[in-house]
Amino acid sequence: MNHILHITASNTPAVVERLLQVTRYRGYQLTGLQMTPRADSRSVAIRLSVSGDKPIHLLTSQLHKLYDVQQLELAGSELAVLSA
Amino acid sequence: MKGAELVLKVLQQHGVDSIFGYPGGAIMPIYDALYQSSVKHYLCRHEQGGAFSAIGYARASGKVGVCMATSGPGATNLITSLADAMLDSVPVVAITGQVSQAVMGTDAFQEIDVLGLSLAVTKHSFMVRSVDELAATLNDAFAIALSGRPGPVLVDIPKDVQLAELDYQPEATTSVRPVPVATSLANAAKARALIAGAKKPVAYIGGGVHMAGAMPQLQQFLAANPMPSVTTLKAMGSVAKDNAHYLGMLGMHGTQAANLAVQQCDLLICLGARFDDRVTGNLQKFAPLAKVIHVDIDPAEINKVRFADAALLGDMQQILPAISAGTDCADWLNHCAQLKQQYGWRYDHPGERIYAPLMLKQLSERMPDNSVVACDVGQHQMWVAQHMRFSHPRNHLSSGGLGTMGFGLPAAIGAKLARPQDTVITVTGDGSFMMNVQELATIKRFRLPVKIVVIDNQRLGMVKQWQQLFFNARYSETDLSDNPDFVALAAAFAIPGHCITRKDEVESALEAMFTWPGPYLLHVCIDDKDNVWPLVPPGAANEDMITEAKA
Repeated sequence: MNHILHITASNTPAVVERLLQVTRYRGYQLTGLQMTPRADSRSVAIRLSVSGDKPIHLLTSQLHKLYDVQQLELAGSELAVLSA
Repeated sequence: MKGAELVLKVLQQHGVDSIFGYPGGAIMPIYDALYQSSVKHYLCRHEQGGAFSAIGYARASGKVGVCMATSGPGATNLITSLADAMLDSVPVVAITGQVSQAVMGTDAFQEIDVLGLSLAVTKHSFMVRSVDELAATLNDAFAIALSGRPGPVLVDIPKDVQLAELDYQPEATTSVRPVPVATSLANAAKARALIAGAKKPVAYIGGGVHMAGAMPQLQQFLAANPMPSVTTLKAMGSVAKDNAHYLGMLGMHGTQAANLAVQQCDLLICLGARFDDRVTGNLQKFAPLAKVIHVDIDPAEINKVRFADAALLGDMQQILPAISAGTDCADWLNHCAQLKQQYGWRYDHPGERIYAPLMLKQLSERMPDNSVVACDVGQHQMWVAQHMRFSHPRNHLSSGGLGTMGFGLPAAIGAKLARPQDTVITVTGDGSFMMNVQELATIKRFRLPVKIVVIDNQRLGMVKQWQQLFFNARYSETDLSDNPDFVALAAAFAIPGHCITRKDEVESALEAMFTWPGPYLLHVCIDDKDNVWPLVPPGAANEDMITEAKA
């Protein structure tokens, strides 16, 4: 199943690596990635497209734990079961 | 003030009195600052050992453990220990030197991408780019290590940042301010209804209870809601010794009573645990009749592997009183008491050779109150969990999640430095002991009175046991019969020792070990045929335990 995650995160050197590492390790495939620094350059807007057979909350709950992640929303009507 | 001096100042402000590490080129400015600092540095003999000592310090005390290493190999040697801290949720701050920013990315001498390496083994990690952000970064590291579910944090500091000057006026004290825990009691009523209606409830207790400081609330909960309780490896010692309904550890090498009770229960109250595969066995067959209440501080653990009928997130100290409902399950308590009696341990082992379970029971009964036991990994680790009793989880240090051989000796060093007034014993195996044996030099240097019990079957015992049971007795690379003379090895580090082979030598040998004022090594030779029982085979349900009689 495909999912699109809209993430706002601190603009730190390894932030995208952290997101991708968790996505891979937790068993989801990356199908798309867009990243746009915000105007103040302190944060970045990231659109992460993933696919996987597992429920998406297993990924969103792990991504929420990343210290750099400020906000995470699933596109459309999907909602994570639990949010940080 | 230089950045390097600021590092020490910030550590002092956080109340750090002991750090564990090993110097090298890229961290020399910090070691130079250390030369005149009041922070006590303990030189380990391998960075992995130093980080394990920081873990032992943290787990025995509840404080943040701090370790340091240089760039490149120093930092990579920390990785295993940080992974251990990650999987067992231990608050550690690791400080690594890095090559100067001017040469970063050029494959400079002892340069490796430490930030990149840290991603999978830390709760968070930083690379400090400017001396102006150094103090705030270190403060954040301490706060993150302790906040919510604790864990390791790495701070990589390039050499130019260590050498940079800044005008810094430190605060007199800096209290660690963990991020407050948001607690939701929305499902408390549902949990109370489940508890009040349960005929066969069981409390499944993990390390999250004591790490939340909720030991008193746990005892009150179990008193107000009498029910059988079981613990994970990390939670041994959580249930008061006088609680008659405690059944021991559950899981692959758990007690038969604990596993059977969980398999039969109609309500499983999971407190600060995570349904680890070594606990559940075959997940589909685990506690098949049970509804689940899951209390945890980490949202990612809820519904990760087992659906929770009622989940409560947040501070265990608040949640436990809020879900207390009273129980009415006298028949169930009687049934579990019968299981406990029926499947109690037997120590009537035939022959003269030392039977490790009995020896560990004797050790447990003889060691002073509040002693700390640091284990290694393997058969002896399971025997310790089965046959020793602890008054608090901080007295039982065992590598649970990562299962890291080589943990025990350096963890004991950290525990002894955290709690110098308490007796500290490491129970290790002949395989595990050799993995960080160099830390005997640390014990010698600092004259640490750590007691070392090496249980020696001249095998990698747990692997051998699995080869025997599941690989047609093809003993591939598990023979250690050419072990060194452990007593002579200890003597090379000025540590006295003694070797025993017979049951009738155990009591006097333990007496000699505890009477000796300094470090001491007791070499305990056991039969290589002895195995750990019971055992839930891979893929089986927890009620399908293999016992010695069945094997």
